Amino acid sequence: MRALGKQAASEQIHRSKKGLGLAPGAGRWRSRDTGNVPGSEEAKPNGSREPQAPPDAGEAQATDVTGPRRLSPAHAHARRPGRSFAALGGMSLRALLRPRAAAAALAGLAASRRWLGASARNRAFAKELFLGKIEQKAVFPFPEVSQDELNEINQFVGPVEKFFNEEVDSRKIDREGKIPDDTLEKLRQLGLFGIQVPEEFGGLGLSNTMYARLGEIISLDGSITVTLAAHQAIGLKGIILVGNEEQKTKYLPRLASGEHIAAFCLTEPASGSDAASIRTRATLSEDKKHYILNGTKVWITNGGLATIFTVFAKTEVIGSDGSVTDKITAFIVERDFGGITNGKPEDKLGIRGSNTCEVHFENTRVPVENVLGEVGGGFKVAMNILNSGRFSMGSAVAGMLKRLIEWTAEYACTRKQFNRNLSEFGLIQEKFALMAQKAYVMESMSYLTAGMMDQPGFPDCSIEAAMVKVFSSEGAWQCVSEALQILGGSGYMKDYPYERLLRDTRILLIFEGTNEILRVFIALTGLQHAGRILTARVKELKRGNVTVIMETIGQKLRNSLGRSVDLGLTGNLGVVHPSLGESANKLEENVYYFGKTVETLLLRFGKTIVEEQLVLKRVANILINLYGMTAVLSRASRSIRTGLRNHDHEVLLANMFCVEAYFQNLFSLSQLDKYSPENMDEQIKKVSQQILEKRAYLCAHPLDRTS
Amino acid sequence: MSWVRATLLARGLSKAWGGIGGTPLPGAPFSQGPLQAPRGLHCGVAAPREETSLAPRPPEPPRKPVQAPQPHAELFGAPGADRSKGSFLRALQSFSQYSVRRRGHVDFIYLALSKMREFGVERDLAAYNQLLDVFPKEVFRPRNVFQRIFVHYPRQQECGIAVLEQMEKFGVMPNKDTEFLLIQIFGRKSYPMLKYLRMRLWFTRFQNINPFPVPRELPQDPVDLARLGLRHVEPDLSAQVTIYQMSLPNDMTRTEEATKPHIVGIQSPDQKAALARHDPARPVFVEGPFSLWLHNKCVYYHILRADPLPPEEREVEEIPEEWNLYYPMKLDLEYGRGGWDDYEFDIDEVEEGPIFAMCMAGAHDQATLAKWIQGLQETNPALAQIPVVFRLSGVSGELLTPTGMEEPTGPFSESHQDTDDHQQPQQQSHGGS
Repeated sequence: MRALGKQAASEQIHRSKKGLGLAPGAGRWRSRDTGNVPGSEEAKPNGSREPQAPPDAGEAQATDVTGPRRLSPAHAHARRPGRSFAALGGMSLRALLRPRAAAAALAGLAASRRWLGASARNRAFAKELFLGKIEQKAVFPFPEVSQDELNEINQFVGPVEKFFNEEVDSRKIDREGKIPDDTLEKLRQLGLFGIQVPEEFGGLGLSNTMYARLGEIISLDGSITVTLAAHQAIGLKGIILVGNEEQKTKYLPRLASGEHIAAFCLTEPASGSDAASIRTRATLSEDKKHYILNGTKVWITNGGLATIFTVFAKTEVIGSDGSVTDKITAFIVERDFGGITNGKPEDKLGIRGSNTCEVHFENTRVPVENVLGEVGGGFKVAMNILNSGRFSMGSAVAGMLKRLIEWTAEYACTRKQFNRNLSEFGLIQEKFALMAQKAYVMESMSYLTAGMMDQPGFPDCSIEAAMVKVFSSEGAWQCVSEALQILGGSGYMKDYPYERLLRDTRILLIFEGTNEILRVFIALTGLQHAGRILTARVKELKRGNVTVIMETIGQKLRNSLGRSVDLGLTGNLGVVHPSLGESANKLEENVYYFGKTVETLLLRFGKTIVEEQLVLKRVANILINLYGMTAVLSRASRSIRTGLRNHDHEVLLANMFCVEAYFQNLFSLSQLDKYSPENMDEQIKKVSQQILEKRAYLCAHPLDRTS
Repeated sequence: MSWVRATLLARGLSKAWGGIGGTPLPGAPFSQGPLQAPRGLHCGVAAPREETSLAPRPPEPPRKPVQAPQPHAELFGAPGADRSKGSFLRALQSFSQYSVRRRGHVDFIYLALSKMREFGVERDLAAYNQLLDVFPKEVFRPRNVFQRIFVHYPRQQECGIAVLEQMEKFGVMPNKDTEFLLIQIFGRKSYPMLKYLRMRLWFTRFQNINPFPVPRELPQDPVDLARLGLRHVEPDLSAQVTIYQMSLPNDMTRTEEATKPHIVGIQSPDQKAALARHDPARPVFVEGPFSLWLHNKCVYYHILRADPLPPEEREVEEIPEEWNLYYPMKLDLEYGRGGWDDYEFDIDEVEEGPIFAMCMAGAHDQATLAKWIQGLQETNPALAQIPVVFRLSGVSGELLTPTGMEEPTGPFSESHQDTDDHQQPQQQSHGGS
C-alpha cells in the first residue's frame, strides 16, 4: 500500500539540509524530481501503513536521483516552453531561484549518504505516542531554516504579499463567482501554479516549509487558495509522485507555468470516500493503444478551467491467477482527447470564486501512455495524493487568522460603548486570547509537520498532516465565529469581508477528507501500529500469564498511588525550557497515561475497535492535543533560547494551551475508562438510533397535553 | 337419549346467555364486548369467485329471539329513523321533559348507553356529559357518615360507573364538566367519582403507550387502508408503496369478470437490492394471507419471500482491500474483543428467509397475486428469471369469524350479540403453487 508513499518519501530525502541541524552543506530546500525508480515500486504487503524503506533501496534511489539533479538547471531552461519570464514588479520568483540551483545540486550528492545513515533512527512521532513514548528527536528542537533560506523565502513572500494586498479584490471574486483573468495571469507570472513542481520542470521546486510559508499569504483569498491547491496539491501531484519521466516532461512544465490548469477527478455521485463504488470505467480499446473512458465526476474543483485531469476509473485487471477483477487506475486526461464536457459551475456557500462543477467523460480516448502509475494501482495513487496535501492548511489558516486578529483588534480598540473601548471588556479580551492561541498552535503544528516532511528519511507524516488539518479547520471555524462576535452586527453584513471569511472557512471542515473521517484515520493508523507492537503482551495477558498480569497490576497500583511521570523532556539537559517545565510535565503525564489507555483499549476491543467510532474520536482528540502541546513546547523553547522577539508572549500562549489541552485530555482519558460515569456513549447511541428509526425529532411539543 | 338432551340443554343455555348479553343489565351491560364483524375476507369483491368461495353454508337459523320491549325505547325513534348526535341529544331532552321526576332514569341511561354506537356518539364527550345530566342532582349525595361508609344508592352509582366505563372503553377522557356533574350527583366521596379520578390518572399515562399508533379514524377507501396497513408492517421508511391495480368503481353492471380487486404493494430499496441479488435457481414464495388488525378492522397481506440460504452457500462478507480511500476498514490484529467487553446476549436466533415485498389485495387468489408479481417484475427485472411459487392458505389469523357477516353492513346492531351458536365457516385452503 505504501510502495508509493515510500517513493514519495524518497523524493523528499534531499529537501532538507539544515532543517534539523543535521545536514551539512549550504543548500536550499528544494523538492526534486527523483525520476521513476522502478526498484522502489515493489509492493509491500497490503494493509501495511508503515513505510520503512530498506536502506539499500533508498540508497539506490538516492544515487540515481543525483544524476538529473546535477543537470537540473540546464533542463529547467531547456524545457520551459516559450513562457514569458516577465516578472511581476520586475522580479519573478523563478528568476530569484535560478542562480543558486547549481550549487545546491552539487551539494546534494555529498550530503545524501550521510542523511541516509542518519535516517534510520527516526521514527514516526505520532505513532510512538500511542505507545506512551515521546520520540524527542523528531520534534525537538523545532525545525529551523538557515538565514539564507529565510532571506530567500522573504524575497518570495514580498511580491506575493504585495500582490494579494493590492491587486486581489476578494470581494469582487466572491460576488462574481469567478477569478478574473488578469488575476490568474499575475498568479501565473508569480509562479504560484508550480510551487512544488521541481525546478527542472519549470516549477519553483519549493520545500514543504516554503510551501507552507507561501500558503500563509495566498490564504488571504479563499477562492484563490482553493484553486491553486486543487491545481497543485492534488491535481498535478499525481504526476510528481508517480508519473514517469515522459509524463513529467510532457505535462509538468506547462502545468507549472499555469498554462494548463489541473483538476483531480475522484468524487462521483455514488462515491465519496468509498472507492469500491466508483462507476467511471475505462476499457481498453481493441488495438490496446487507448482506454475508452466513460463516466461522471462531481464537485470537481477547477473542473471548468482545467485542461489536464487526473481521473480515477475502474479498469479490468487480470490477476496472476488469470481472474479478472475491477481495479482503480489513475489516468492523465487532456481536455483535447475529446468527449469531456462540464456541468455548469456549482453555486456554493463559500469559496465562490473557485470553479466547481461536474465533469462528464464520454468515450474519451486516453492513450495507454497516460496511465498514471500502474494499471490497477490507482487506489494507492489516490491515497498518497490525498495524504500528501493536507499539512498546508495549518499555515494557511494561521495566516488568515493573523490578518483577522489585526482587523478585529483595530475595531475593538476604536469602537466605544459606555465611554469605554470594546477592548476593555473581559469577554472581548478573552476572544483575542483564544484567536491568538489557536493561531499560535496551528502555526507551530504546521511548521513542525512541514519540517518533519522536509527531513531526510522521515517520510510518513500522514497522521501528523491529518492532525494539522483537523485542528486548523476547526480552529478556523471557531475563531472566525468569535471574530464575528466581536464585530457584532458589522460582522454579519456583506459590506465587510468577515462574513465571506466565515463562509469560506466552512469548507475546511469538509474537504480533503472530512474531519470525522480524518479522526478515524488518525486513531486507527496509530492503533494499528500500537496493536502490532503490543501483540505479544496482549496475547500473554489474554492467555492469563501470571507474571505479566502481576506486572500489569503492580504497574496500575503504582500509577494509582500517584507517581510522577518523567519522560525526560525537562530537567538539566531537557529539551524544553524550564519556563515551560510545568507544561512539559503535563504533556509527559498525558502521554504516559495515553499509552496505558491505548493498551487497555486494544485489550478490550482488539480489532473490533474499528466499529467503536466514539472511542476512536476521543483517541484522535487526545492525540491532536498531544501533538499540539508538543509543537508549542518545542517552538516556544526554541524562541526563548534563541531570544526571538516577544517570546514571553509565546510562553504565555504555550502554557495556556497546554493547561487547557491537559484537562481536556484528562477528561477524554477518563471517558475512555471502562464504566466511566463521564461516558455517555450508550445513551448517545440509543438516542440517535431512535431518532434515525423514525427519521424525526421524537419529543412531544412542550405545549402538548394528554387530556 | 341423554346425548340429545344434553345438546338441547346446551343450546338453550347458550341462547339464554345470548339473551342476557342482549338485555342491558346493570353491572355488566357490556361485558360481552360487541362482536362487530371485522372487515371480512373478499370485502372488495362483489361475489366470491369459484376458487375463493367458501364451503356451502348451512341454512341460517332464525337469528332474532323475541325480546321484551324496553321502556323508553320509543324515545329513540323507530329503527331506521334519523341517527345523529342531534337526535340523540333530543332523545335525552325529551326524557327529561317527559318525566320531570326522572322516573326510570337508570333504565333509560342503560338504554341510551347501548344506543350510543347506533347514533355514532360513542366517542362524544358532550353526549356523555348530557347523559350524566339525566341523573337527578343532589338526591344521591350521602348526607352523613354512615351513608358515606355504605354504598349510598348502589344502583344509581353502578349506573354512573357504567357510563364512565363506556367512556373508558371508547377512550373518551372525562373533563371538568364531568367532574362537576358527578360531584353534583353523587358527591365527592362516591364510587363514580373514584372511577373518574382513576380515569384522569391512567388515561393520560396509557394514551401514548402504543409505539405503533393507528389513526383513530381508519380510511374507508380500501386502497388507503391497505396503504396504511402496509406502512404499519414495513419498518423501513424509505419503502415505496405502489398501487398495482385499482378496483373498478362500484357500478351497477358489475359481473364477475369485470371485478378487479385492488392490489397495493410495498417494497423498500433494501428489499429491491436483495431481490436483485437473489439466486434465480432458488424459488421465491408468495405466502399469505396473514392478518393484521387495525383497531377493529382486519386486513390481510401477502409476502414474497425466499428460504434462508443453507449455511454452506452463504457468502461471508469480506472487506475488500481497496475500499476506503481515507482510513483502514479493518485492523490487522490477531485479537478480537475481550470477553469482559462483550455485552452481546447469547441469543438463539431463528433464521428466517429474506422478505422481498409485501402486498395487500382485494382478493386472495392466485390470479390476483400473479398480477402483483407481474407488477413487481417491472421494477425488479431479476424477478422474471426467478420461479415464483404460490403458497396460499385459507384465512387463518382472524379470530372466530362469524359467517354471514362478510361485509358488516351497518353499525353495531344487537343481533350480533346473540349469534354465537352459528357454525364456524368451513374454510377451504387454496391450492398451493
